[in-house]
Amino acid sequence: MASQLSFTGFAWKNLWRRRLRTLLTLGGIAMAIGAFVALVGFSRAFEHEWLRMYEGTGTDIAVVEKSFLNTSLDESVGAKLRALPEVEQARPMIFNLMDLTPEINALVFGWQADSYELDSLTLTSGRRFRDGQPEILLGDILAGNLNKKAGDTIEIQGTTFTVTGIDHGGSALEAGAVIMPLDQLQQVSSLQGKVTAFHVRLRPAPAGEAQEHYVKRADAEIEAALPGLHAVPAAERASNNQIVLLAHAAAWGTSSIALLIGILSIANTMAMSVFERTREIGILRALGWKSWRVMLLILTEAAVLGLAGGILGLGVGWGTLRILSSLPQTASIVSASVTWLHLLEALCIAVASGLVAGAIPAWRGAHLSPVEALRHD
Amino acid sequence: MTEPILRARELRKSYDEGRIEALRGVDLAIEAGEFLAISGPSGSGKSTLLQLLGGLDTPTSGEVFFHSARLGAAIDLDVFRSKKVGFIFQAFHLMPTLRVLENVQVPMMALSPTPNHRAERALALLQEMGLEHRLRQYPNELSAGERQRVAIARALANEPEILLADEPTGNLDSANSARIMEILTGIQKQRGMTLIVVTHENEIAHAAARQIRLRDGRIEA
Repeated sequence: MASQLSFTGFAWKNLWRRRLRTLLTLGGIAMAIGAFVALVGFSRAFEHEWLRMYEGTGTDIAVVEKSFLNTSLDESVGAKLRALPEVEQARPMIFNLMDLTPEINALVFGWQADSYELDSLTLTSGRRFRDGQPEILLGDILAGNLNKKAGDTIEIQGTTFTVTGIDHGGSALEAGAVIMPLDQLQQVSSLQGKVTAFHVRLRPAPAGEAQEHYVKRADAEIEAALPGLHAVPAAERASNNQIVLLAHAAAWGTSSIALLIGILSIANTMAMSVFERTREIGILRALGWKSWRVMLLILTEAAVLGLAGGILGLGVGWGTLRILSSLPQTASIVSASVTWLHLLEALCIAVASGLVAGAIPAWRGAHLSPVEALRHD
Repeated sequence: MTEPILRARELRKSYDEGRIEALRGVDLAIEAGEFLAISGPSGSGKSTLLQLLGGLDTPTSGEVFFHSARLGAAIDLDVFRSKKVGFIFQAFHLMPTLRVLENVQVPMMALSPTPNHRAERALALLQEMGLEHRLRQYPNELSAGERQRVAIARALANEPEILLADEPTGNLDSANSARIMEILTGIQKQRGMTLIVVTHENEIAHAAARQIRLRDGRIEA
């Protein structure tokens, strides 16, 4: 059978004539998409792990200040919360990000020793910490990275803590975190009397009332009883706590810059390609190709660049996450898990980037006069 | 009397804001199946006339009719070029990134028959041109004569009614020139096509059934 020429085959041949330029452009877009996959994937996985942690501990509502950097809620609020009829438990907590060694930083949670949140953890060795004592639990991944076991000591912010146990939580955050008595974290963070939030576990919903409705009603009652505070359902808190929001902002900001550079690199390649092929575009127009078909050819080339770069970028992003999740410096906060939806989104962004970048060169190429294009040297 | 297949009325074409007048009022009627040669010295406007007759360009004033349809008004120029005319250029103008067989399929992509149909038709045309052994070559691997034969096959791809050739032998030696003209006249006779050739070679001009000569943008009496 005679070999057939397809539209995309034609587009690919046009791209492949300048292999080095095409490969360099593919490298540019692959890096941009890789950055998107790795950074945004990381920040989403981070959010997902927060949600898993809340779900694992059985927290229904987090009570925080209304300001964005809501890290200084007064500890005395707890008594008012516990007085509300729907509230079964209201536990103060602090979270922070701290340097444990020059290379390793980790999330640090401050909980009361009898907090219900500790019940969700499985101790693989040792025992729980005690309030008022410089004692900590280490998540099993973090313990491995620090090479610590129960009974060892570790210095955090100038205070020496004893590792009383190694825990395995339901989320990667707990597995990579330090958990210490609330009072100890208040002390090393200079936050005496202050907490990040109260985690609230509600009593069972009354018969006939849906859980979602019950949580919303409890939210409203807490906010009415405690003006100035914000009661947030756990799922919402997982996505809008300040660390997750900062992670999202940093991930999208960096990815956007990388994507912009990728788009400019495709636009440059396509503009050069159209200029070099002016005469060939004239031939196509002379052979009866309509402007829109020439435009479609150039846009197809740009989209193929985006798609091929995007596929390479998926590998780059996934590989980056794998590496980050295995490095001791980042393993405690980086998860290598990426959803299919995220990969599909990255590919769509790659193709859309190609189309945006190719739009102006395609329009210019399509509107060349056939006679003038044929005269072009 | 039958309607001419192509008719030019008072065609004028100027460039550079009217400072250069390439055509200064050309009236011409071409019958279906005719072999017409357009000759004249360099700069006389013969290529410009061919471009206007083929719908590659639009006149500054005047009109071109295909049968009774005015080009650019009753018939879209892109449609006219893709369906009604086939172009053959002095510089061949093949796509350098495509193989011979693929080059001939390019005009057919504008009309969207199936890829298989395109490939089969391209193969048949190249066999007719005696190029069945060169299907997978790229243009730069062919001789000048072979390239022009590929260009002729490409011009025939959409079964046009008119073949327009602009100095088709201008880059060929005498043996290849003779062969190309033999092919073109053979096609014109066998298929009853209209063939319009721009040339400055007397031998080719004399081979045509009718010859017009341009000078300074006008047809010489």
